[in-house]
Amino acid sequence: MFNQLYESLIISFKAVFQNKGRAFLTMLGIIIGILSVSLMGTAINGIDNVFNETLGMFGKDVLYLQQFPWFMGNAEWWEFRNRPRIEEEYAAKILERSSTISYASVETNRRVTLSYGDKSSEGVDLKCAGWQSAYIDAARIEAGRYFSQSEDEHLARVIVIGSEVKRLLFPNVEDPVGLDIKVNGLSFRIIGVFAEQGKVFGMFSVDNMAVIPYQTSKAVFGRSWWLSVSLKIHDNANKGYALDEVRYITRGLRGLRPTDPDNFAINQQEAMEDELKRIKSAIGFVGIGIAALSLLVGGIGIMNIMFVSVKERTQEIGIRKALGAKRWVIMAQFLLEAVIIAVIGGSIGLLLTTLLVGVVKKFFVASLSLELVLIALLVSVAVGIVSGIVPANQASRQDPIEAMRYE
Amino acid sequence: MSLLKLKNIYRIYRIGQVDVRALNGVDLLVEKNEYLSVMGPSGSGKSTLMNIIGCLDTPTRGSYELDGISIHKENHEKSETANDDQLAYIRNRKIGFIFQTFNLLPRMTALHNVELPLIYAGVPRHERIERAKLALENVQLADRMYHKPNELSGGQRQRVAVARALINEPSIILADEPTGNLDSKTSNDIMELIGELHRQGNTIIVVTHEADIAARANRVIHMLDGKINEDNKKK
Repeated sequence: MFNQLYESLIISFKAVFQNKGRAFLTMLGIIIGILSVSLMGTAINGIDNVFNETLGMFGKDVLYLQQFPWFMGNAEWWEFRNRPRIEEEYAAKILERSSTISYASVETNRRVTLSYGDKSSEGVDLKCAGWQSAYIDAARIEAGRYFSQSEDEHLARVIVIGSEVKRLLFPNVEDPVGLDIKVNGLSFRIIGVFAEQGKVFGMFSVDNMAVIPYQTSKAVFGRSWWLSVSLKIHDNANKGYALDEVRYITRGLRGLRPTDPDNFAINQQEAMEDELKRIKSAIGFVGIGIAALSLLVGGIGIMNIMFVSVKERTQEIGIRKALGAKRWVIMAQFLLEAVIIAVIGGSIGLLLTTLLVGVVKKFFVASLSLELVLIALLVSVAVGIVSGIVPANQASRQDPIEAMRYE
Repeated sequence: MSLLKLKNIYRIYRIGQVDVRALNGVDLLVEKNEYLSVMGPSGSGKSTLMNIIGCLDTPTRGSYELDGISIHKENHEKSETANDDQLAYIRNRKIGFIFQTFNLLPRMTALHNVELPLIYAGVPRHERIERAKLALENVQLADRMYHKPNELSGGQRQRVAVARALINEPSIILADEPTGNLDSKTSNDIMELIGELHRQGNTIIVVTHEADIAARANRVIHMLDGKINEDNKKK
C-alpha cells in the first residue's frame, strides 16, 4: 500500500510540474490566503511579545491615580484637561486611610538633558519618584542600588540611570556607579543602573530614562503640575476592593458629592491588557476574514483545475483501472495532486511572509513562529483535501470501459 | 475444471426507453491453454463479451466464474457481484489485456508502462524494474525501454502492451483486435508473438473480424445478435 501511495505521489508531482503555469495561477489564491493568515498571525504574535514586555514595566498590583485615564476618546480630552491636579499629599493620605494599600508614592516626569564629559543626551525621561517607589516599580536594578528614604528626605543629589543612558553616555565605562553626571547642568551622583527593559511597541526605548528622588527634584527643579500617585496593593488584598477603596478615599479628599462624577482616573495594567485584547481581536477578525475569503477563492480555483485535470486524463484513469488500480489509488493520485498544489502555494505564501516580516521588522514588531508555519501548512493541506476530494472521487468512480474510450 | 465458465449470460443496456440486449444468453466454457478467437459483425456483442470476461463490466444476468473465482453468481432471483475493488484485483492478477489502440500511458517510458500492473499488485520497486526489464527483453524491446510510446512504432507499442499483459503472469490473455491499428507485416509479427505465448502454455482469447487472424486459433467462435451461433474446434 505504501508502495502504491509513493507511486501516486510521484505521479501527482509530475502532473503538477507538467502544467507549471496553470498550477501557479491556481496557487495564487492559496498564496494570498496563507500570506494573510501568516501576516495576521505574525502581527498578533509581535503585538503580544511587545505588550508582554511593556506590561512587565508596570507593576501588576499597582494602581496609578492620575488626572487622565490611559485610554480615552478625543472628545473627552478637554474635560479631563480641566480636572483638578493630583496633589502630593494624596499619597500619604490614601496610605493612611486605606486598609489595602501597602506603599504609596508620588511621581512626576520631566524631559532633561544628561551629560557626562563631552557626551550628552537630550530628551531623557527623568522620573522623579518618592522613596516608596523602590517597593512599587517593577524595574530591576542591574548594578548599584536604588535611593533610600533618607536620601529622598534629605534632598540627596543621587540618580539611577537606565541602560540606554549608560550606553549613550558611558560607552567605554564598565560600571558608571559612583561617577557624577549633569542633569540640566546640575551634578548628580550615579548610585545605580537599571536592567534593560526593551521597547514599547518595539519602537520606543523605555531605557532612555533616569530616576531621582521626588523631594530632591522639587528642591532643585521646582514643583510640577503633573503628578501621579502609584499605589501598591497589599499582597493579600482583593484588587477590586482596593480599587473601590482608593476611589472613595480620593472622592473624599476631593470633597465630591455622591452625584458628582469622578474627576480623576485610577489606571492599572489590566486596562492596558483589555485594550490590547481589543486590538488583537480586531486584527484577528479582519485577518481571518481576508484569509478565509482568499482561501475559499483559492480552494475553488484548485477544485476547478482538478476537474479539468480529471477530464484531461480520463483515458489514463481508464487504463489504470483496467490494469488493476483500485478506487483509492486513483483517488489518492488526484487528492495528492490537489494537496501538492495547495501546499506549494502555502509554502510560497510563507516564503513571502518571511521576506515581508524581514522588511517590516525594521519599522514595526513582527515575529513568525514555528507554530504559525505549521498552522499555515496544515491549513494548506486542509484546503487541498477539501477542494480535491470531489474531483478525486469523481475520477475514482469512472467506468473503465467508458474512460478508455474517452478522447 | 474449466478456466472460464459463463452460464446464460445477459448484458442489457437501457438506452432511453429501449432495452438493448448486447448479450442475449451466452454459454461458454474455456479450458486452460486454449487459443480461442471470437468473430462476428459489429454489434454482435463480441466486445461486450470481452469486457465481461475481462471483468471490466459485469453481466446483467447469468453467472461467471474465472479460475474458480465467482465474479457474478445468480440463483433464485438473487445475484451477487464482485465489487469494484475486487474486480480491480482480478483484472490485475488474472487478466492480461492487449487493446487495439495499445492503451499505453503516453507520458511514461515503455519500462514504466510495463511496471504499472506490478505497482498495483504491490510489488517492491526493485523487483518490479527487474521483472519489467525481463518482460521487455522477451518481446525484443531491450533497447527501447526508456522510450516513450510516441517514440515507438505501432508494432513496438503493441509489443510493449504484450509485455505489460504478461507481467503479472495472468490466467488469461485477452486481445481485442490486437492488429487493428497495424500494417500486415507487423500484424503478422504480433500474431506470431501471440502464437508463441500460446505455445508457452498461456490461455488466449482474441477478438477479431479478420478471418486469417481468427484462423490461427484452435477454436473459433462466431457471434451474432448477442449469441454464439457457431463454435468450431480444430482437431
